[in-house]
Amino acid sequence: MKKQSMWSFKFSTAALVLIPAAIGINYLGKLFAELLRLPLWLDSIGTILSSMLAGPIIGALTGIINNIIYGFTASPVSFVYAITSGVIGLVVGVMAYKGWIASVKKALVLGLVVGFIAATVSTPLNIMFWGGQTGNVWGDALFATMIAQDLPLWLASFADSIVVDVPDKIVTVLISFLMFKNLPKNLTQMYDSQSEIERL
Amino acid sequence: MKNMTLFVKKDSVIHNVDPLSKLLFVFISVAVTYILPNHLFVIGILAFTLLLLVVGKVFKYILPIIGLSLILILSIIIVQGFFHPDRATVLFTIGSFQIYKEGFSFALLLTLRALNMICAFGILVLTTKPDDLVESLITKGMSPKIGYVLLSVLQIIPQMIAMTGKITDAQRSRGMETEGKLLTRIKSFIPLLSPVVLNSLNDTRERSIALEIRGFNSTSDRTFLHESIYFKYGPAVKFLLVAFLIAVIIWRVML
Repeated sequence: MKKQSMWSFKFSTAALVLIPAAIGINYLGKLFAELLRLPLWLDSIGTILSSMLAGPIIGALTGIINNIIYGFTASPVSFVYAITSGVIGLVVGVMAYKGWIASVKKALVLGLVVGFIAATVSTPLNIMFWGGQTGNVWGDALFATMIAQDLPLWLASFADSIVVDVPDKIVTVLISFLMFKNLPKNLTQMYDSQSEIERL
Repeated sequence: MKNMTLFVKKDSVIHNVDPLSKLLFVFISVAVTYILPNHLFVIGILAFTLLLLVVGKVFKYILPIIGLSLILILSIIIVQGFFHPDRATVLFTIGSFQIYKEGFSFALLLTLRALNMICAFGILVLTTKPDDLVESLITKGMSPKIGYVLLSVLQIIPQMIAMTGKITDAQRSRGMETEGKLLTRIKSFIPLLSPVVLNSLNDTRERSIALEIRGFNSTSDRTFLHESIYFKYGPAVKFLLVAFLIAVIIWRVML
């Protein structure tokens, strides 16, 4: 079998079936975070894990479909952030492919980058839809203080997103990284489009 | 088993409109409130959306959905009201805080738009069965594989939630603490989540074998198990919606 590039749109069945499982993992991450009353969302573990396993396209699809399903089953506001989720999947997939999940240190950098990119993508959405806020109490308090000191709106909104996104994404990427590294090989090879193993 | 969708089975005119027209309605209704930033116009659109919810007999089901977004809406009103960049005219004073007219008017517009967006999506979500929507999208040319992915999420999540109960109990009986200090709670996150992850990834292997056996990768034309329900008013609704969108764009350009 020929090697495929990471941008291939020819998905194996295993990779497609990974998407619903990953969305379920997202959902449960959020559920457990609420159960344990953790101060983070941890609702994109599945998206990040699926990009590490099956590449950027599957990761992006997982992110987008995740928000669509969440919009259908809980809160329509999440439709707005489908773009952010998709970009998170894309970035993790590309960086994982380039070797940024080789060690814990590199995974930390990956988390930081993902957090910043997520904030960058969310900022225009937040400004367009809600005038710059995120709905998170701490982030919005910072936003209000910065606006009150007449700092530019985009800067305040960006800071608002950063405070919310960066810690969450660092922890999420670290957790996904630890899980990914501890998965048995016969499981991870199933999704890997670069591997030369025959498809099912 | 917990039902995943917000769909409410009722018999109404809105339920009988075809899913794609409703999808189109959502996009146009959200888009026009951004094209024309006029308070009265947005109130009109919101009132119309609410009217559709009442006609669809699902008005009371939208309230908890709005409730979920209440923090965001409150935050918009408070922050924009107090701190909007072009604050000049004081509208009224609460204690030592002043609410400014510019910020308040902007916050009102944002809140109306947000409410309209939630309610418009509410119409689609509350009156459309996800199966029907996916089926209409597939007949319009969406890949049936993506359709499968969309619908299987709705089945898998309740299964996984059922699994979590078992895992939580099993880990507790091994002495894992789920209450106490923050550090203790953080430590128990991984033992809770990793069995679910491993389990569900293992399931995907079996599921993909099962699917391939049943011709999931077949390239021939797909047929449908269920006979498609005949939805009324499709073309008329779509025509009216597009005409309305064009009218709004013209109005905006003329302004």
